Amino acid sequence: MILLQSPSRFLLQILKERVLSGDKGVDIDCQTVEFDDVRYHIQFSMRNPKAMVLSVALPLAPPEAILYDGLPLGAIDAIKAAYGPVVQILDPPKDGFDLTMKINLTKLPPDEEQRNALLTQIASVREVVLGAPLKLLLKHLATKTVAPNVDKLVALVHRPNESFFLALQPDKVTVVYPMRFQDSIDIVLATSFLQEFVEARRTAALSNAPSCMWSPVPPLELKGMDADALNANAGFVTFVVSPRHVEGRKLDKTVWSLLTFHAYVSYHVKCSEGFMHTRMRRRVETLIQALDRAKSDAEKLKKLVHGASFRRMSLNEGN
Amino acid sequence: MDAASRPAVVIDNGTGYTKMGFAGNVEPCFITPTVVAVNDSFSNQARATTKGNWMAQHNAGVMADLDFFIGDEALARSRSSSTYSLSYPIRGGQVENWDTMEKFWQQCIFNYLRCDPEDHYFLLTESPLTPPETREYTGEIMFETFNVPGLYIAVQPVLALAAGYTTTKCEMTGVVVDVGDGATHIVPVADGYVIGSSIRSIPLTGKDVTQFIQQLMKERGEHIPPEESFDVARRAKEMYCYTCSDIVKEFNKHDREPSKYIKHLTGTKPKTGAPYTCDIGYERFLGPEIFFHPEIYNNDFTTPLQDVIDKCIQSSPIDTRRALYKNIVLSGGSTMFKDFHRRLQRDLKKIVDARVRTSNARLGGDTKAQPVEVNVVSHPIQRYAVWFGGSVLASTAEFYEACHTKAEYEEYGASICRSNPVFKGMY
Repeated sequence: MILLQSPSRFLLQILKERVLSGDKGVDIDCQTVEFDDVRYHIQFSMRNPKAMVLSVALPLAPPEAILYDGLPLGAIDAIKAAYGPVVQILDPPKDGFDLTMKINLTKLPPDEEQRNALLTQIASVREVVLGAPLKLLLKHLATKTVAPNVDKLVALVHRPNESFFLALQPDKVTVVYPMRFQDSIDIVLATSFLQEFVEARRTAALSNAPSCMWSPVPPLELKGMDADALNANAGFVTFVVSPRHVEGRKLDKTVWSLLTFHAYVSYHVKCSEGFMHTRMRRRVETLIQALDRAKSDAEKLKKLVHGASFRRMSLNEGN
Repeated sequence: MDAASRPAVVIDNGTGYTKMGFAGNVEPCFITPTVVAVNDSFSNQARATTKGNWMAQHNAGVMADLDFFIGDEALARSRSSSTYSLSYPIRGGQVENWDTMEKFWQQCIFNYLRCDPEDHYFLLTESPLTPPETREYTGEIMFETFNVPGLYIAVQPVLALAAGYTTTKCEMTGVVVDVGDGATHIVPVADGYVIGSSIRSIPLTGKDVTQFIQQLMKERGEHIPPEESFDVARRAKEMYCYTCSDIVKEFNKHDREPSKYIKHLTGTKPKTGAPYTCDIGYERFLGPEIFFHPEIYNNDFTTPLQDVIDKCIQSSPIDTRRALYKNIVLSGGSTMFKDFHRRLQRDLKKIVDARVRTSNARLGGDTKAQPVEVNVVSHPIQRYAVWFGGSVLASTAEFYEACHTKAEYEEYGASICRSNPVFKGMY
């Protein structure tokens, strides 16, 4: 797996099981947490086995990111557009959550392919809600305009108490990520990963990708932002997205990739740590083998036959 | 937000299946086979290239590092293409291949549960016979690679016992009969302490049941493609096997009404795609029977399960024995056969009653021993009882105090994982 998938596996599994299971109802009440502190609460009741109540809690927004009624800009419209009559938004949301939806499984399309597509869409509720403002802004980019009523510099929440920034222009959008990591080793690995990432963009095969830069200090676009929003221990990554990256069907993919960029880097940092461990283990094994080979036959025999080396050592230590 | 305010991640890695989910839930989010499909082509390629071309070699290594699958996906991949080879990281309840185990955890966390390991405490499980070195290794991977804020490695039977009592009352004394896919342990626990010297393990596991069924079907001459036969036997075991009360009677029943008892399994041959069916007859009750009459399967080990349990309890401290007989808890997928607990309880009761009778006869009627109560407990969540126990344990406030934390790890190193709070007595 190189990229993170957009639908939540667990949600999708529960939905599919429920659709296939027919009419017998079982009470389900469970909670799960995803990366970046997105929490789901799934409820099915016996009385109404075909209706699922799904509550979603979003990451805590930092002060610079603006929310409308606790949700990102345009989220409600995006939900309505994506799900149509299947989903009904309950207001107010459940205590401790930002959004509660009632999903009516009897209204799913009868065709299996369409139904699965819609279920996958429901499982990607995170992309729909958190990606709504990004999608809205990038849609304007595709038509080379700037969305009305928004600032030139927009902050969008993507992690608890952290946001990334969009500088809007009619012909391009500059996306800036302050990269923060907790662990000191992670910081080092992430820094070199990002530098390699920028380097990889320069190869001929990727000449159509959005141009990408990394710098240890905040780039000029972020001038005038709060100091709190700008302290990053692994530098700043900048992408310049132009209209051709958000044409037609590319839009959804771009939105998801931009939304989960931090999770992507974090996942790959963990992967490379795992990879290094594998290499280190293999190295230790070969070194031990080399040591074993270096033992003379007499030494091996002595240990086997007499077993005296142990006693001698303990005597010496006693003195 | 602090990691302790989020639910802990509970992963129970079994030899056959891995159960994973979040603490506080009733069911694990995923139950998936513990298997990894690694892409061989990259690693072979890396070895074949010349030394000068280190960049290609390096890239090949990096790609192989990401190109792998776990669980059901892994099984599907290895069936459809020959570039992937399957690796089972756990064998006989012990981690054998740490490389693939690390990969397996990586996918569990990032692809299945999709959580950030830095945000959650982790509860992992181990078999009662795991050496401390293994525990250290686990701790090393969890803290170094995944940066978990806290880790708790729990002993499976204790968790299974913990799962049983939530419905009734807090009973931490009992014998856990854990029959998994790769290891079978009988573990007496008194007041939450594992009685280490009395742990018995027997070489009969879920896998042996599958192999026995496979062998029976082969001898009967069912037409199953050889590469599928183990899988068919496994499906037959999981779907149709049950425990009978008497083999002879059961044979008669089957002979009288074959149509009622014989089940069919269908599948498609992987090479030609042609469909096939096979019958499942006597295997349905003979498979689980190997626990009660091991001699029908194997001549090396012939002590029936009930005898082993009895010996295990007899070797425990004398004041705990009555309590142990009273609470025999089943756990693990291979105790799911219908009426398994009834059969076990009946057979065990026979042994115990016989002993009470002889002792009464010896004493000659002056004093009568009180009859011993034998009770085998079965509950619907038996298949993932260990996971459920973990979920219960990890949702208590004490859990976060009992965890080994990242700070402790950095201060003292992996040796902190050697000691287990359960053996020190958490309850």
